[in-house]
Amino acid sequence: MTNKAGKIIVNIVLLLLGIVTVYPFVWMVFSSFKENQEIMALEQSLLPQHFITENYINMNSRFDFLHFFTNSLFVAVTITVLVVYTSTICGYVLSKYRFRGRNLLFGFVLSTMMIPWCVTIIPRYSLIQTFGWMDSYKALIIPVMFSGFGIFNMRQNISAVPDEILEAARIDGANEFYIFHRIIFPMARNGIASIAIFQFLWAWEDYLWPYLVINTQEKQLLSVGLKMFSGQYSTDYGALFAATAISILPVLLIYLFFQKQFIAGIAASAVKG
Amino acid sequence: MFKKSHPLQSRSEIILRNIVVAVMVVFFTVFLIIPIGIAFAGSFHEWNPLSGTYKFLGLKNYIEVFSSGLFWKSMRNTVLFSVVVIVFRVGLGLAIACAIFSSLVKYKSFFRAVFYMPVVTPMVAVAFVWKFMYNPQIGTVNQILGLDVNWLMNPKTALIAVMIMTIWKDFGYAVVMYMAGLFSLPSDAMEAARVDGANGWQTFRYITLPLLRPMTLFVVITSIISYIQAYIQILIMTEGGPGTDTYLASYIIYDEAFVKYNFGYASALSFVLFVVTAAFTMLSFRVSGSEE
Repeated sequence: MTNKAGKIIVNIVLLLLGIVTVYPFVWMVFSSFKENQEIMALEQSLLPQHFITENYINMNSRFDFLHFFTNSLFVAVTITVLVVYTSTICGYVLSKYRFRGRNLLFGFVLSTMMIPWCVTIIPRYSLIQTFGWMDSYKALIIPVMFSGFGIFNMRQNISAVPDEILEAARIDGANEFYIFHRIIFPMARNGIASIAIFQFLWAWEDYLWPYLVINTQEKQLLSVGLKMFSGQYSTDYGALFAATAISILPVLLIYLFFQKQFIAGIAASAVKG
Repeated sequence: MFKKSHPLQSRSEIILRNIVVAVMVVFFTVFLIIPIGIAFAGSFHEWNPLSGTYKFLGLKNYIEVFSSGLFWKSMRNTVLFSVVVIVFRVGLGLAIACAIFSSLVKYKSFFRAVFYMPVVTPMVAVAFVWKFMYNPQIGTVNQILGLDVNWLMNPKTALIAVMIMTIWKDFGYAVVMYMAGLFSLPSDAMEAARVDGANGWQTFRYITLPLLRPMTLFVVITSIISYIQAYIQILIMTEGGPGTDTYLASYIIYDEAFVKYNFGYASALSFVLFVVTAAFTMLSFRVSGSEE
Protein backbone atom coordinates (compact mmCIF):
# COMPACT_ATOMS: atom_id res chain seq x y z
CA MET A 1 0.00 0.00 0.00
CA THR A 2 1.50 3.28 -1.02
CA ASN A 3 1.53 6.16 1.37
CA LYS A 4 -0.87 8.11 -0.79
CA ALA A 5 -3.51 5.36 -0.85
CA GLY A 6 -3.19 5.00 2.92
CA LYS A 7 -3.68 8.72 3.31
CA ILE A 8 -6.89 8.68 1.27
CA ILE A 9 -8.33 5.63 3.06
CA VAL A 10 -7.61 6.96 6.55
CA ASN A 11 -9.10 10.35 5.71
CA ILE A 12 -12.22 8.81 4.17
CA VAL A 13 -12.76 6.58 7.22
CA LEU A 14 -12.36 9.53 9.57
CA LEU A 15 -14.71 11.61 7.46
CA LEU A 16 -17.35 8.87 7.54
CA LEU A 17 -17.03 8.58 11.32
CA GLY A 18 -17.29 12.36 11.50
CA ILE A 19 -20.52 12.25 9.51
CA VAL A 20 -21.94 9.60 11.86
CA THR A 21 -20.95 11.84 14.80
CA VAL A 22 -22.60 14.96 13.42
CA TYR A 23 -25.60 13.34 11.71
CA PRO A 24 -27.94 13.20 14.76
CA PHE A 25 -27.54 16.95 15.28
CA VAL A 26 -28.14 17.73 11.61
CA TRP A 27 -31.16 15.44 11.48
CA MET A 28 -32.58 17.04 14.62
CA VAL A 29 -32.16 20.60 13.32
CA PHE A 30 -33.63 19.84 9.88
CA SER A 31 -36.53 17.90 11.41
CA SER A 32 -37.35 20.86 13.64
CA PHE A 33 -38.23 22.84 10.49
CA LYS A 34 -40.54 20.14 9.12
CA GLU A 35 -44.29 19.73 9.40
CA ASN A 36 -45.54 16.76 11.39
CA GLN A 37 -46.94 15.03 8.28
CA GLU A 38 -43.55 15.24 6.68
CA ILE A 39 -41.77 13.89 9.78
CA MET A 40 -44.12 10.90 9.83
CA ALA A 41 -44.24 10.34 6.07
CA LEU A 42 -43.09 7.01 4.69
CA GLU A 43 -40.75 8.56 2.17
CA GLN A 44 -38.37 10.85 4.01
CA SER A 45 -35.62 13.20 3.05
CA LEU A 46 -33.09 14.84 5.30
CA LEU A 47 -33.86 18.37 4.10
CA PRO A 48 -37.33 19.78 4.81
CA GLN A 49 -39.48 19.68 1.66
CA HIS A 50 -41.68 22.34 3.09
CA PHE A 51 -39.68 24.65 5.33
CA ILE A 52 -41.61 26.00 8.36
CA THR A 53 -40.64 27.89 11.52
CA GLU A 54 -43.95 27.34 13.34
CA ASN A 55 -42.45 24.62 15.54
CA TYR A 56 -40.31 27.25 17.22
CA ILE A 57 -42.90 30.02 17.22
CA ASN A 58 -45.78 27.91 18.57
CA MET A 59 -43.66 26.18 21.17
CA ASN A 60 -43.46 29.22 23.36
CA SER A 61 -47.16 29.97 23.38
CA ARG A 62 -48.03 26.41 24.42
CA PHE A 63 -45.26 25.88 26.87
CA ASP A 64 -43.17 28.57 28.48
CA PHE A 65 -39.90 27.56 26.92
CA LEU A 66 -38.32 30.98 27.00
CA HIS A 67 -38.85 30.99 30.75
CA PHE A 68 -37.22 27.57 31.23
CA PHE A 69 -34.42 28.68 28.97
CA THR A 70 -33.62 31.88 30.90
CA ASN A 71 -33.93 30.03 34.24
CA SER A 72 -31.45 27.40 33.08
CA LEU A 73 -29.14 30.06 31.70
CA PHE A 74 -29.19 31.99 34.98
CA VAL A 75 -28.59 28.94 37.17
CA ALA A 76 -25.93 27.42 34.90
CA VAL A 77 -24.01 30.69 34.52
CA THR A 78 -24.10 31.39 38.29
CA ILE A 79 -22.89 27.88 39.15
CA THR A 80 -20.19 28.05 36.50
CA VAL A 81 -18.82 31.41 37.68
CA LEU A 82 -18.79 30.27 41.31
CA VAL A 83 -17.20 26.90 40.57
CA VAL A 84 -14.52 28.43 38.35
CA TYR A 85 -13.61 30.86 41.13
CA THR A 86 -13.63 28.34 43.99
CA SER A 87 -11.79 25.71 41.92
CA THR A 88 -9.08 28.14 40.90
CA ILE A 89 -8.49 29.49 44.38
CA CYS A 90 -8.53 26.01 45.98
CA GLY A 91 -6.30 24.71 43.19
CA TYR A 92 -3.88 27.56 43.82
CA VAL A 93 -3.69 26.94 47.56
CA LEU A 94 -3.34 23.18 47.08
CA SER A 95 -0.62 23.43 44.43
CA LYS A 96 1.49 26.40 45.51
CA TYR A 97 1.27 26.48 49.31
CA ARG A 98 2.98 24.02 51.58
CA PHE A 99 1.18 23.24 54.82
CA ARG A 100 0.42 20.37 57.11
CA GLY A 101 -2.51 18.29 55.90
CA ARG A 102 -2.26 19.52 52.30
CA ASN A 103 -1.88 16.08 50.77
CA LEU A 104 -4.62 14.70 52.99
CA LEU A 105 -6.96 17.46 51.84
CA PHE A 106 -6.05 16.91 48.19
CA GLY A 107 -6.51 13.15 48.54
CA PHE A 108 -9.92 13.84 50.02
CA VAL A 109 -10.84 16.13 47.11
CA LEU A 110 -9.78 13.36 44.69
CA SER A 111 -11.87 10.77 46.50
CA THR A 112 -15.00 12.95 46.29
CA MET A 113 -14.98 12.31 42.54
CA MET A 114 -15.50 8.60 43.19
CA ILE A 115 -18.65 8.98 45.27
CA PRO A 116 -21.73 8.16 43.17
CA TRP A 117 -24.52 10.76 43.05
CA CYS A 118 -26.94 8.23 44.46
CA VAL A 119 -25.15 8.02 47.83
CA THR A 120 -25.57 11.69 48.67
CA ILE A 121 -28.72 12.74 46.82
CA ILE A 122 -31.25 11.39 49.35
CA PRO A 123 -29.64 12.99 52.44
CA ARG A 124 -29.01 16.21 50.50
CA TYR A 125 -32.69 16.29 49.67
CA SER A 126 -33.56 15.94 53.38
CA LEU A 127 -30.94 18.57 54.29
CA ILE A 128 -32.44 21.05 51.82
CA GLN A 129 -35.84 20.48 53.43
CA THR A 130 -34.34 21.08 56.90
CA PHE A 131 -32.64 24.29 55.71
CA GLY A 132 -35.92 25.48 54.20
CA TRP A 133 -34.36 25.89 50.75
CA MET A 134 -36.98 23.92 48.84
CA ASP A 135 -38.21 25.58 45.67
CA SER A 136 -35.44 28.16 45.72
CA TYR A 137 -32.32 28.49 43.57
CA LYS A 138 -30.20 28.30 46.75
CA ALA A 139 -30.91 24.56 46.67
CA LEU A 140 -29.58 24.33 43.12
CA ILE A 141 -26.52 26.53 43.54
CA ILE A 142 -25.07 26.24 47.05
CA PRO A 143 -24.62 22.42 47.28
CA VAL A 144 -22.48 22.40 44.10
CA MET A 145 -20.40 25.54 44.72
CA PHE A 146 -17.23 23.51 45.22
CA SER A 147 -16.34 20.77 42.80
CA GLY A 148 -13.81 17.99 43.32
CA PHE A 149 -13.35 17.72 39.57
CA GLY A 150 -12.77 21.47 39.27
CA ILE A 151 -10.30 21.68 42.15
CA PHE A 152 -8.38 18.65 40.86
CA ASN A 153 -8.14 20.11 37.35
CA MET A 154 -7.14 23.58 38.47
CA ARG A 155 -4.49 22.18 40.78
CA GLN A 156 -2.98 20.26 37.85
CA ASN A 157 -3.12 23.36 35.63
CA ILE A 158 -1.69 25.76 38.21
CA SER A 159 1.17 23.39 39.07
CA ALA A 160 2.52 24.25 35.62
CA VAL A 161 2.85 27.94 36.53
CA PRO A 162 6.54 28.45 37.44
CA ASP A 163 7.21 29.30 41.09
CA GLU A 164 9.76 31.92 40.01
CA ILE A 165 7.01 34.16 38.65
CA LEU A 166 5.20 34.09 41.99
CA GLU A 167 8.41 34.65 43.96
CA ALA A 168 9.31 37.62 41.75
CA ALA A 169 5.87 39.14 42.34
CA ARG A 170 6.21 38.57 46.10
CA ILE A 171 9.61 40.26 46.15
CA ASP A 172 8.05 43.21 44.33
CA GLY A 173 5.65 43.46 47.25
CA ALA A 174 2.53 41.91 45.73
CA ASN A 175 0.24 40.30 48.26
CA GLU A 176 -1.35 36.89 47.71
CA PHE A 177 -4.74 38.26 46.70
CA TYR A 178 -3.11 40.34 43.99
CA ILE A 179 -1.01 37.36 42.82
CA PHE A 180 -4.06 35.12 42.67
CA HIS A 181 -6.30 37.53 40.78
CA ARG A 182 -3.76 39.14 38.49
CA ILE A 183 -1.22 36.37 37.81
CA ILE A 184 -2.73 32.95 38.47
CA PHE A 185 -6.15 33.66 37.00
CA PRO A 186 -4.95 34.81 33.56
CA MET A 187 -2.26 32.12 33.40
CA ALA A 188 -4.76 29.34 34.17
CA ARG A 189 -7.18 30.29 31.38
CA ASN A 190 -6.97 26.97 29.51
CA GLY A 191 -7.88 25.07 32.64
CA ILE A 192 -10.61 27.60 33.38
CA ALA A 193 -12.06 27.20 29.87
CA SER A 194 -12.21 23.43 30.27
CA ILE A 195 -13.86 23.34 33.69
CA ALA A 196 -16.18 26.21 32.76
CA ILE A 197 -17.57 24.31 29.77
CA PHE A 198 -17.94 21.06 31.71
CA GLN A 199 -19.53 22.79 34.68
CA PHE A 200 -21.90 24.74 32.44
CA LEU A 201 -22.86 21.52 30.68
CA TRP A 202 -23.46 19.65 33.96
CA ALA A 203 -25.56 22.45 35.39
CA TRP A 204 -27.43 22.79 32.10
CA GLU A 205 -28.16 19.06 31.72
CA ASP A 206 -28.86 18.27 35.36
CA TYR A 207 -32.28 16.68 35.53
CA LEU A 208 -32.91 14.90 38.81
CA TRP A 209 -31.86 17.57 41.29
CA PRO A 210 -33.96 20.46 39.88
CA TYR A 211 -36.81 17.98 39.39
CA LEU A 212 -36.66 17.17 43.11
CA VAL A 213 -36.11 20.56 44.72
CA ILE A 214 -38.02 22.96 42.41
CA ASN A 215 -41.81 22.64 42.65
CA THR A 216 -43.05 25.80 40.96
CA GLN A 217 -43.27 25.46 37.21
CA GLU A 218 -42.20 29.09 36.58
CA LYS A 219 -38.90 28.39 38.35
CA GLN A 220 -38.22 25.07 36.64
CA LEU A 221 -35.20 24.42 34.41
CA LEU A 222 -34.99 23.42 30.78
CA SER A 223 -34.10 19.71 31.06
CA VAL A 224 -37.03 19.07 33.40
CA GLY A 225 -39.20 21.22 31.12
CA LEU A 226 -38.16 19.16 28.12
CA LYS A 227 -39.23 15.94 29.83
CA MET A 228 -42.56 17.48 30.91
CA PHE A 229 -43.10 18.81 27.41
CA SER A 230 -42.43 15.40 25.85
CA GLY A 231 -44.96 13.87 28.24
CA GLN A 232 -47.66 16.35 27.24
CA TYR A 233 -47.00 16.61 23.51
CA SER A 234 -45.61 13.16 22.86
CA THR A 235 -46.81 13.05 19.27
CA ASP A 236 -46.06 16.62 18.23
CA TYR A 237 -42.67 15.65 16.90
CA GLY A 238 -41.94 18.93 15.17
CA ALA A 239 -42.30 20.84 18.43
CA LEU A 240 -40.25 18.22 20.29
CA PHE A 241 -37.42 18.54 17.78
CA ALA A 242 -37.48 22.31 18.15
CA ALA A 243 -37.45 22.05 21.96
CA THR A 244 -34.55 19.59 21.89
CA ALA A 245 -32.59 21.74 19.46
CA ILE A 246 -33.00 24.74 21.75
CA SER A 247 -31.59 22.82 24.71
CA ILE A 248 -28.58 21.49 22.78
CA LEU A 249 -27.46 24.43 20.68
CA PRO A 250 -26.28 26.89 23.40
CA VAL A 251 -23.80 24.43 24.86
CA LEU A 252 -22.60 23.38 21.44
CA LEU A 253 -22.04 26.99 20.40
CA ILE A 254 -20.06 27.80 23.55
CA TYR A 255 -17.94 24.72 22.94
CA LEU A 256 -17.24 25.55 19.30
CA PHE A 257 -16.32 29.08 20.31
CA PHE A 258 -13.84 28.11 23.05
CA GLN A 259 -12.82 24.68 21.82
CA LYS A 260 -9.08 25.47 21.44
CA GLN A 261 -8.51 26.55 25.06
CA PHE A 262 -10.94 23.93 26.22
CA ILE A 263 -9.15 20.98 24.64
CA ALA A 264 -5.76 22.31 25.75
CA GLY A 265 -7.12 22.56 29.30
CA ILE A 266 -8.54 19.03 29.66
CA ALA A 267 -5.51 17.55 27.93
CA ALA A 268 -3.12 19.33 30.32
CA SER A 269 -4.82 18.01 33.42
CA ALA A 270 -4.91 14.42 32.17
CA VAL A 271 -1.29 14.27 31.02
CA LYS A 272 0.06 15.54 34.30
CA GLY A 273 -2.46 13.55 36.34
CA MET B 1 7.26 23.88 60.97
CA PHE B 2 5.65 25.80 58.08
CA LYS B 3 8.23 28.53 58.25
CA LYS B 4 11.14 26.18 57.62
CA SER B 5 9.74 24.57 54.51
CA HIS B 6 8.48 27.82 53.06
CA PRO B 7 10.54 30.77 54.22
CA LEU B 8 8.74 33.46 52.20
CA GLN B 9 5.38 32.82 53.81
CA SER B 10 3.64 36.14 54.28
CA ARG B 11 0.69 37.33 56.30
CA SER B 12 -1.57 37.48 53.26
CA GLU B 13 -0.60 33.91 52.38
CA ILE B 14 -1.60 32.66 55.82
CA ILE B 15 -4.92 34.54 55.65
CA LEU B 16 -5.75 33.26 52.17
CA ARG B 17 -4.74 29.71 53.05
CA ASN B 18 -6.76 29.65 56.25
CA ILE B 19 -9.89 31.04 54.61
CA VAL B 20 -9.72 28.63 51.67
CA VAL B 21 -8.98 25.55 53.78
CA ALA B 22 -11.67 26.43 56.33
CA VAL B 23 -14.37 27.05 53.72
CA MET B 24 -13.45 23.85 51.85
CA VAL B 25 -13.58 21.76 55.01
CA VAL B 26 -16.93 23.24 56.08
CA PHE B 27 -18.44 22.83 52.61
CA PHE B 28 -17.38 19.22 52.14
CA THR B 29 -18.41 18.35 55.68
CA VAL B 30 -21.92 19.77 55.25
CA PHE B 31 -22.62 18.62 51.71
CA LEU B 32 -20.64 15.41 51.54
CA ILE B 33 -19.48 13.85 54.81
CA ILE B 34 -22.66 14.49 56.79
CA PRO B 35 -24.87 13.29 53.88
CA ILE B 36 -22.80 10.11 53.57
CA GLY B 37 -23.27 9.56 57.29
CA ILE B 38 -27.02 10.16 57.05
CA ALA B 39 -27.29 7.78 54.09
CA PHE B 40 -25.26 5.11 55.86
CA ALA B 41 -27.44 5.33 58.98
CA GLY B 42 -30.56 5.44 56.80
CA SER B 43 -29.57 2.26 54.99
CA PHE B 44 -30.27 0.34 58.24
CA HIS B 45 -33.73 1.85 58.61
CA GLU B 46 -37.11 1.68 57.06
CA TRP B 47 -37.13 5.29 55.86
CA ASN B 48 -40.02 6.86 53.98
CA PRO B 49 -40.31 10.67 53.98
CA LEU B 50 -43.91 10.64 52.73
CA SER B 51 -45.29 8.58 55.61
CA GLY B 52 -42.64 9.92 58.02
CA THR B 53 -41.38 6.44 58.85
CA TYR B 54 -37.87 5.98 60.25
CA LYS B 55 -37.63 2.59 61.93
CA PHE B 56 -34.53 0.51 62.66
CA LEU B 57 -34.31 -2.65 60.56
CA GLY B 58 -30.74 -3.81 61.05
CA LEU B 59 -29.38 -5.49 57.95
CA LYS B 60 -32.77 -6.17 56.42
CA ASN B 61 -32.41 -3.64 53.58
CA TYR B 62 -29.07 -5.16 52.55
CA ILE B 63 -30.46 -8.69 52.72
CA GLU B 64 -33.34 -7.57 50.54
CA VAL B 65 -30.96 -6.02 48.02
CA PHE B 66 -28.97 -9.21 47.65
CA SER B 67 -32.02 -11.44 47.44
CA SER B 68 -33.74 -9.24 44.86
CA GLY B 69 -33.85 -10.70 41.37
CA LEU B 70 -34.13 -7.23 39.86
CA PHE B 71 -30.93 -6.13 41.60
CA TRP B 72 -28.92 -9.00 40.12
CA LYS B 73 -30.49 -8.50 36.72
CA SER B 74 -29.64 -4.80 36.81
CA MET B 75 -26.08 -5.59 37.94
CA ARG B 76 -25.67 -7.96 34.99
CA ASN B 77 -27.01 -5.23 32.71
CA THR B 78 -24.70 -2.65 34.27
CA VAL B 79 -21.62 -4.85 33.87
CA LEU B 80 -22.53 -5.74 30.28
CA PHE B 81 -23.31 -2.11 29.48
CA SER B 82 -20.07 -0.83 31.05
CA VAL B 83 -17.80 -3.46 29.52
CA VAL B 84 -19.16 -3.05 25.99
CA VAL B 85 -19.22 0.74 26.09
CA ILE B 86 -15.74 0.98 27.63
CA VAL B 87 -14.22 -1.46 25.10
CA PHE B 88 -15.64 0.56 22.20
CA ARG B 89 -14.79 3.87 23.82
CA VAL B 90 -11.17 2.89 24.41
CA GLY B 91 -10.80 1.01 21.11
CA LEU B 92 -12.34 3.70 18.93
CA GLY B 93 -10.65 6.44 20.92
CA LEU B 94 -7.20 4.89 20.55
CA ALA B 95 -7.60 4.01 16.86
CA ILE B 96 -8.97 7.41 15.90
CA ALA B 97 -6.43 9.31 18.00
CA CYS B 98 -3.56 7.38 16.38
CA ALA B 99 -5.01 8.00 12.93
CA ILE B 100 -5.40 11.73 13.52
CA PHE B 101 -1.97 11.92 15.15
CA SER B 102 -0.25 10.15 12.23
CA SER B 103 1.27 12.04 9.34
CA LEU B 104 -1.56 10.75 7.14
CA VAL B 105 -4.09 13.30 8.39
CA LYS B 106 -3.77 17.02 7.81
CA TYR B 107 -6.80 18.61 9.52
CA LYS B 108 -6.05 17.32 13.01
CA SER B 109 -7.85 19.91 15.11
CA PHE B 110 -10.89 19.82 12.81
CA PHE B 111 -11.40 16.10 13.34
CA ARG B 112 -10.69 16.36 17.04
CA ALA B 113 -13.30 19.11 17.44
CA VAL B 114 -15.92 17.13 15.48
CA PHE B 115 -15.49 13.91 17.46
CA TYR B 116 -15.69 15.81 20.71
CA MET B 117 -19.01 17.49 19.91
CA PRO B 118 -21.35 14.84 21.38
CA VAL B 119 -19.36 14.89 24.66
CA VAL B 120 -20.34 18.50 25.33
CA THR B 121 -24.05 18.14 24.64
CA PRO B 122 -26.66 17.67 27.38
CA MET B 123 -27.56 14.02 27.96
CA VAL B 124 -31.29 14.60 28.45
CA ALA B 125 -31.64 16.32 25.07
CA VAL B 126 -29.34 13.92 23.23
CA ALA B 127 -31.21 10.94 24.66
CA PHE B 128 -34.40 12.42 23.18
CA VAL B 129 -32.77 12.83 19.78
CA TRP B 130 -31.73 9.16 19.78
CA LYS B 131 -35.10 8.06 21.05
CA PHE B 132 -36.60 9.70 17.97
CA MET B 133 -33.91 8.25 15.72
CA TYR B 134 -34.78 4.74 16.94
CA ASN B 135 -38.53 5.37 16.62
CA PRO B 136 -39.90 2.89 14.06
CA GLN B 137 -42.38 5.44 12.74
CA ILE B 138 -40.34 8.62 12.37
CA GLY B 139 -36.82 7.39 13.07
CA THR B 140 -33.90 7.60 10.72
CA VAL B 141 -32.02 4.49 11.92
CA ASN B 142 -34.37 1.98 10.30
CA GLN B 143 -34.54 4.11 7.18
CA ILE B 144 -30.77 4.25 6.74
CA LEU B 145 -30.22 0.58 7.56
CA GLY B 146 -33.31 -0.56 5.65
CA LEU B 147 -34.55 -2.47 8.69
CA ASP B 148 -37.86 -2.75 10.45
CA VAL B 149 -36.88 -3.04 14.12
CA ASN B 150 -38.57 -1.44 17.10
CA TRP B 151 -35.20 -0.85 18.72
CA LEU B 152 -36.24 0.38 22.15
CA MET B 153 -39.25 -1.93 22.58
CA ASN B 154 -37.55 -5.16 21.61
CA PRO B 155 -35.88 -6.97 24.56
CA LYS B 156 -33.09 -8.16 22.26
CA THR B 157 -32.14 -4.72 20.97
CA ALA B 158 -33.13 -2.21 23.67
CA LEU B 159 -29.96 -2.36 25.74
CA ILE B 160 -27.79 -2.51 22.60
CA ALA B 161 -29.52 0.61 21.29
CA VAL B 162 -28.79 2.49 24.51
CA MET B 163 -25.17 1.29 24.41
CA ILE B 164 -24.73 2.53 20.84
CA MET B 165 -26.05 5.93 21.84
CA THR B 166 -23.70 6.07 24.82
CA ILE B 167 -20.70 5.03 22.71
CA TRP B 168 -21.60 7.75 20.20
CA LYS B 169 -21.79 10.32 22.99
CA ASP B 170 -18.60 9.34 24.79
CA PHE B 171 -15.91 8.03 22.41
CA GLY B 172 -14.76 11.58 21.57
CA TYR B 173 -13.55 12.02 25.13
CA ALA B 174 -11.16 9.08 24.68
CA VAL B 175 -10.00 10.51 21.33
CA VAL B 176 -9.02 13.81 22.96
CA MET B 177 -7.37 12.07 25.92
CA TYR B 178 -5.33 9.72 23.74
CA MET B 179 -4.30 12.59 21.47
CA ALA B 180 -3.05 14.49 24.51
CA GLY B 181 -1.16 11.34 25.53
CA LEU B 182 0.36 10.92 22.05
CA PHE B 183 1.51 14.54 21.89
CA SER B 184 3.26 14.19 25.23
CA LEU B 185 5.19 11.01 24.29
CA PRO B 186 8.96 11.37 24.28
CA SER B 187 10.08 11.57 20.65
CA ASP B 188 13.49 10.04 21.43
CA ALA B 189 11.89 6.67 22.27
CA MET B 190 10.24 6.60 18.82
CA GLU B 191 13.46 7.72 17.20
CA ALA B 192 15.46 4.97 18.95
CA ALA B 193 12.93 2.35 17.83
CA ARG B 194 13.15 3.55 14.24
CA VAL B 195 16.96 3.49 14.35
CA ASP B 196 16.81 -0.10 15.65
CA GLY B 197 14.73 -1.00 12.60
CA ALA B 198 11.31 -1.40 14.18
CA ASN B 199 8.38 -1.14 11.77
CA GLY B 200 5.27 0.93 12.38
CA TRP B 201 3.32 -1.86 14.06
CA GLN B 202 6.23 -2.87 16.30
CA THR B 203 6.76 0.74 17.38
CA PHE B 204 3.08 0.99 18.20
CA ARG B 205 2.89 -2.35 20.00
CA TYR B 206 6.09 -2.12 22.06
CA ILE B 207 6.62 1.64 22.51
CA THR B 208 3.44 3.67 22.02
CA LEU B 209 0.95 1.32 23.67
CA PRO B 210 2.91 0.78 26.91
CA LEU B 211 3.61 4.51 27.16
CA LEU B 212 -0.11 5.21 26.79
CA ARG B 213 -1.00 2.82 29.59
CA PRO B 214 -1.54 5.53 32.23
CA MET B 215 -3.96 7.27 29.85
CA THR B 216 -5.85 4.02 29.24
CA LEU B 217 -6.09 3.51 32.99
CA PHE B 218 -7.38 7.07 33.42
CA VAL B 219 -10.04 6.63 30.72
CA VAL B 220 -11.11 3.20 32.01
CA ILE B 221 -11.44 4.33 35.63
CA THR B 222 -13.37 7.51 34.84
CA SER B 223 -15.59 5.43 32.55
CA ILE B 224 -16.30 2.80 35.22
CA ILE B 225 -17.23 5.48 37.72
CA SER B 226 -19.56 7.24 35.30
CA TYR B 227 -21.23 4.15 33.77
CA ILE B 228 -22.06 2.59 37.13
CA GLN B 229 -23.93 5.85 37.77
CA ALA B 230 -25.60 6.13 34.36
CA TYR B 231 -29.38 6.43 34.40
CA ILE B 232 -30.47 9.46 32.35
CA GLN B 233 -30.37 7.63 29.02
CA ILE B 234 -32.50 4.87 30.56
CA LEU B 235 -34.96 7.32 32.11
CA ILE B 236 -35.49 9.12 28.80
CA MET B 237 -35.18 6.32 26.26
CA THR B 238 -36.67 3.17 27.82
CA GLU B 239 -37.71 3.77 31.47
CA GLY B 240 -36.10 0.41 32.18
CA GLY B 241 -38.25 -1.38 29.63
CA PRO B 242 -39.29 -3.42 27.83
CA GLY B 243 -40.29 -5.06 31.13
CA THR B 244 -37.16 -4.69 33.21
CA ASP B 245 -34.72 -5.52 30.41
CA THR B 246 -32.81 -2.24 30.46
CA TYR B 247 -32.74 -1.67 34.21
CA LEU B 248 -29.30 -0.41 35.20
CA ALA B 249 -28.26 -0.38 38.87
CA SER B 250 -28.54 3.42 39.17
CA TYR B 251 -31.96 3.40 37.57
CA ILE B 252 -33.32 1.14 40.35
CA ILE B 253 -32.01 3.63 42.90
CA TYR B 254 -33.76 6.47 41.11
CA ASP B 255 -36.92 4.38 40.96
CA GLU B 256 -36.82 3.21 44.60
CA ALA B 257 -35.88 6.62 46.00
CA PHE B 258 -37.89 9.11 43.97
CA VAL B 259 -40.74 7.11 42.50
CA LYS B 260 -41.48 4.79 45.46
CA TYR B 261 -39.82 6.89 48.22
CA ASN B 262 -38.13 3.87 49.84
CA PHE B 263 -35.22 5.99 51.06
CA GLY B 264 -33.78 3.30 53.34
CA TYR B 265 -33.72 0.58 50.70
CA ALA B 266 -32.37 3.01 48.09
CA SER B 267 -29.59 4.06 50.48
CA ALA B 268 -28.59 0.44 51.03
CA LEU B 269 -28.51 -0.03 47.25
CA SER B 270 -26.36 3.05 46.76
CA PHE B 271 -23.80 1.85 49.30
CA VAL B 272 -23.60 -1.48 47.52
CA LEU B 273 -23.01 0.42 44.30
CA PHE B 274 -20.39 2.60 45.98
CA VAL B 275 -18.47 -0.50 47.08
CA VAL B 276 -18.77 -2.00 43.59
CA THR B 277 -17.38 1.23 42.06
CA ALA B 278 -14.44 1.24 44.46
CA ALA B 279 -13.77 -2.46 43.84
CA PHE B 280 -13.76 -2.08 40.05
CA THR B 281 -11.52 0.97 40.29
CA MET B 282 -9.03 -0.95 42.41
CA LEU B 283 -9.25 -3.92 40.05
CA SER B 284 -8.39 -1.81 37.01
CA PHE B 285 -5.32 -0.47 38.85
CA ARG B 286 -4.30 -4.09 39.47
CA VAL B 287 -4.94 -5.28 35.94
CA SER B 288 -2.94 -2.45 34.45
CA GLY B 289 -0.07 -3.43 36.76
CA SER B 290 0.42 0.18 37.73
CA GLU B 291 0.90 0.82 41.43
CA GLU B 292 0.91 4.64 41.40
